[in-house]
Amino acid sequence: MRRRAILVLLAFLALAGARAAGDEAFQREFDYATRTILCDCGCSPQSVHDCACGRAEEMRNEIAAAIREGKTGAQVVDGYVARYGEKIRVAPTASGFNLLAWLGPGVALLLGILASVLILRRWKRRSATEEAAAPVTPPAEDDPYVARLREQLKEYE
Amino acid sequence: MLTVELGYYGLFVALLASAWASVASLLATVGRERGLQQSAERSLLASFGFIVLAALCLEVGFLTNDFRLDYVFHYSSIAQPLPYKIGALWGGQSGSLLLWVLILAGMSALVLATNRAKNRALMPVVTAVLGVVVTFFLVLLNFVESPFTLGPARGDGVGLNPQLKNYWMMIHPPCLYLGYVGFTVPFAFAISALANRRSGDLWFRTTRRWTLFSWFFLGTGILMGSYWAYIELGWGGYWAWDPVENASLMPWLTATAFLHSVMIQEKKGMLKIWNVLLVILTFSLSIFGTFLTRSGIISSVHAFATSNIGPAFGVFLGVVFFGALALMILRLPDLRSEARLESVVSRESSFLFNNLVLVGIAATVLFLTTFPMLSEMTTGRKVTMGPPIFNLVNIPWALFLLFLTGVGPLIAWRKATASHLRRNFLFPAAAGAWVLLGLFFLAPRAYLSGFGELFRSLASLDVAGAFERLKIFYPALTFSLGAFVLGTVGLEFKRGIHARRVQHGESVATALARLVWRNKRRYGGYVVHVGIVLIFFGIAGSSAYKKEAVQEMSPGEVFEVDGYQMRYDGYHLDAMDDHLGAVTEVSLFQDGRRVASLEAEQRFHPNMVFPELRDAFLRAKSLSGGDPAVYQSAVARLYPLIRELEQGAGREVKTPSTEVAIHASLSPFAPTRFGEDFYLTPLWVDPQSGRASFRVFVNPMVNFIWFGAFVLVLGAHLAVLPDPRERKRLTATIALEERAVA
Repeated sequence: MRRRAILVLLAFLALAGARAAGDEAFQREFDYATRTILCDCGCSPQSVHDCACGRAEEMRNEIAAAIREGKTGAQVVDGYVARYGEKIRVAPTASGFNLLAWLGPGVALLLGILASVLILRRWKRRSATEEAAAPVTPPAEDDPYVARLREQLKEYE
Repeated sequence: MLTVELGYYGLFVALLASAWASVASLLATVGRERGLQQSAERSLLASFGFIVLAALCLEVGFLTNDFRLDYVFHYSSIAQPLPYKIGALWGGQSGSLLLWVLILAGMSALVLATNRAKNRALMPVVTAVLGVVVTFFLVLLNFVESPFTLGPARGDGVGLNPQLKNYWMMIHPPCLYLGYVGFTVPFAFAISALANRRSGDLWFRTTRRWTLFSWFFLGTGILMGSYWAYIELGWGGYWAWDPVENASLMPWLTATAFLHSVMIQEKKGMLKIWNVLLVILTFSLSIFGTFLTRSGIISSVHAFATSNIGPAFGVFLGVVFFGALALMILRLPDLRSEARLESVVSRESSFLFNNLVLVGIAATVLFLTTFPMLSEMTTGRKVTMGPPIFNLVNIPWALFLLFLTGVGPLIAWRKATASHLRRNFLFPAAAGAWVLLGLFFLAPRAYLSGFGELFRSLASLDVAGAFERLKIFYPALTFSLGAFVLGTVGLEFKRGIHARRVQHGESVATALARLVWRNKRRYGGYVVHVGIVLIFFGIAGSSAYKKEAVQEMSPGEVFEVDGYQMRYDGYHLDAMDDHLGAVTEVSLFQDGRRVASLEAEQRFHPNMVFPELRDAFLRAKSLSGGDPAVYQSAVARLYPLIRELEQGAGREVKTPSTEVAIHASLSPFAPTRFGEDFYLTPLWVDPQSGRASFRVFVNPMVNFIWFGAFVLVLGAHLAVLPDPRERKRLTATIALEERAVA
């Protein structure tokens, strides 16, 4: 009797566990799909997950139904892409030509930093040679008024 | 009515006047004819007067419900509350253009008035540039998009898009336009300086406050727009990288770069070409922003108005940008740098990197925004650029920028020695490091496994995966870099106060006040930096630790989410102004203690063009205040009526919207929740049973964004206040220039 009770309890726990795991798997696949697919309400580019319009609610229900039927999130996304084309993804995949969008800005900025360092070093070299060549005294002002103004300006800096 | 004709012809006369102003001032530059320039300035003022007249006439149209006017018909209705009738002026395309040109002409008048006795050599070209821009917009308003187009007489109007009926939406566009338009002034002075071969400091010293003013309004305009999106759109976020949002961010970024790099030109005579280029870029991007908002070339939530002004704008933009660029290239010899750089480790170079990153982010945003067109042209495939890619690609650079914000103020001009670096950076760097370590030890395993996953993604060349894995490090990096920046700012204040106390024997408070008051520009700038750090904190906290849930509930049920218990108490129906709605009443509890009662509403805005619906709605509305039961059932009957009409018409006869309910935790006694929002919005409500589906967001730290905005406003105000030192510098520069000409 007691053994049976334990068995029943264990079976119950196993079932509950499986259900929890199922819920978790559902949530994971559902999240993946809704965060990848674009809401086609035509407002701003927002994923089905984020968008607040009525259309997003319908699409969430569609996607939930598809996943309950046993599809994975990736399969649902593939289905949408097959039907509507690449543009139904909220962001382009990081492959092929799209890599330009994913990596281009980063590469450009790194090159920019490199270029800046080179420019700075050239400026430094140039001012070093200029300093060596030029006389130490500043160029004389021919107009005393202008000279005074320059002095004043310096004071305020 | 006469006002329509008055407005229509007013715009035409304004066009003639501004066209003459452009021509006459251009002639004045050639002939140096004093009389011509005077005539040009007077006609630009006259143009302003007639634009004011036209705008007033359109407002009269709104206030008197003159639905013969197409524009009034589309953006107003009899039931529309008064403030929204006034604000409907910028609810659509042609009215927005009218507001744009109104602001620009007003600013032009101000420029002319303040420069009557100075900058005379620059003024003809300045007048010409302002005149040409005003003329362009007036051409559009007269011949392409007139706000005074008449239609048949109509009993009532369609009304403003319900999402625009919000306090912040009423002040956000004018604020943004003040920013966009304001950049025309520094642009005009830069062009004039180039054309007149006077590319010294004069042009930007004269326009320093104009630039700051425009930068400030563009920035606050953007923040107001975010706030509006947050409380109105109901998706729990404040920034969606919508093309039009991007369009406003880009000129703001280049303007920020300009505000910094101009300091190097002031102090060191370097980067002259770069500064002119930045002003040209900023103005072109402002025009581009208006073009994107108004042309509908990229579909977006902001395209509340779209039409056929695209080509005209494209041509104008091209002329402005390439014309200005050509002039700059022609004048390159004048812009030769007086530069000498003593060390790569100096404030000059830190500013150069700051500029690089700011312009780099602007360029990235531009590139990503226009990438769908590029992709379609090259591969024939349409792609969507949604928020994920913008966030992932931009965050690393934003963090680098945050780092530079800390470095810039503390590193010495010219050359930073090792001991100088140690003295200045030891404390802030330690602050940053402590925060980083602290956050690491809060969840060491998560970070270590994050590293592992990152390297695995990198090894398998999974680009999107690698970007995704980086996300877990961003909040910690943001908080630590933020602490570093706050440390540097704190150190600057501490040193300044200390110096004053030693020198003048002042108390801490007096020393602080005098320190800031005597160097408004510098310390205002630091305060702005603090605001930016707070905004970074808010963004990091609310995007990394956001929790959300969707729950269907009947009245009386309780739902728990992230330590909050929400009890759905009940609901009532309401017909107000121009909408009907179901108002849900929710009590919010924390640890069994009631902390707030919230009301979130699901609204329908009926289309008043259907007489049946209109009458039923007005009847229900008139019952308000009487017997509640009768009133409730009258409103409830509107729902089936709407469904019936929709089935008959085959299209929507109402526009839905939601009113979000927000509870902000601002108590200092719950520090972990400080700045957090509980954000509630109904997805749908059944008018019969009251069963509703709620979407709940818990947004930690989100209020730091708005605190940061407040601090930023404070700092910008400080920096723009009149400063005797700045005035002396300007007077001296003007005197120097006048002398050089004579």
